[in-house]
Amino acid sequence: MMFFPKQGKPSGAMEMLSTAGTIGLQLVCSTFIGLAMGYFLDKWLGTSPWLLVIFLLLGITAGFRDVFLEARRIQRKDEEDQGGGGPGSGK
Amino acid sequence: MSAGLPEPLIFSEIINHSFGLHLPVHVYYMWLAMIILFSCGLMLKGRLQMVPGGMQNVFETIIGGLEDFTVKNIGEEGRRVFPFICSLFIFILVMNYIGLIPGCDAATANVNTNAAMALSVFLYYNYIGIKKWGFGYIKHFMGPMPALAPLMLVLETVSHLARPLSLTLRLFGNIRGEEIVLVLLFVLAPVLGTLPMYFLFLLGKTIQAFIFFMLTMIYLKGSLEHAH
Repeated sequence: MMFFPKQGKPSGAMEMLSTAGTIGLQLVCSTFIGLAMGYFLDKWLGTSPWLLVIFLLLGITAGFRDVFLEARRIQRKDEEDQGGGGPGSGK
Repeated sequence: MSAGLPEPLIFSEIINHSFGLHLPVHVYYMWLAMIILFSCGLMLKGRLQMVPGGMQNVFETIIGGLEDFTVKNIGEEGRRVFPFICSLFIFILVMNYIGLIPGCDAATANVNTNAAMALSVFLYYNYIGIKKWGFGYIKHFMGPMPALAPLMLVLETVSHLARPLSLTLRLFGNIRGEEIVLVLLFVLAPVLGTLPMYFLFLLGKTIQAFIFFMLTMIYLKGSLEHAH
């Protein structure tokens, strides 16, 4: 397999690509989950627009928090790679 | 086929037509992937060698590499959950590659396949977390500060529910998009137009399978490690 070089480790470039590819969609999905939760709670409890607005904001916040945590994870990994001089994983 | 696009040739329709069946297209290709994997497994099981050669070598490279990667990220506990995520990876990879064969369609280009897999991932990592931490698993949802715990509980619930959705949509969108581009290019310039795209999509499909694997691993890591 061309994407699994010698030691069988997934190459650094591929890992980076996949990490970068995951960030955006989580934000969008969190927003929509928040929206859906608010909408159905409103329908159930009959408190028309309020829970929708609150849960939409909560969803957006959750999405941003996820992006923030992911960015911090990447940063920590980067520092680890540079500090420890990882075995050929940081490309 | 759906979205009004003409497909050059779909084998499953021929099978459906000749046997008078009405099974959905993507179910066939999922079964095809399962047949391929089962026969590979059964073939290799019979003649395992100390010095691997041929196909055993390929599988040992992939699985060994992924196991190292998992153990490096999760720790020794990763070995226990590794079979699940590795079979998911290989299964998705084979299903994605089947989409590249002319006349076939990727089973992952249907949102139902992906939703099923994403839901099993969701249930599995929560099960692992509850099994390990018992009732204390709820601490994973509370965040570091006790004062903010009710807010964090809602935020974490939203973001945990968004995980299977984003897993599903990412895989579906990418694979479906690639299939549509292949068909369109085939209509524009048969064979000549599609051939260069194969190299790009080979990379794209591998990366999508790997993303699914890696995200599952990260979620499992989150439920296995100690709450903040």
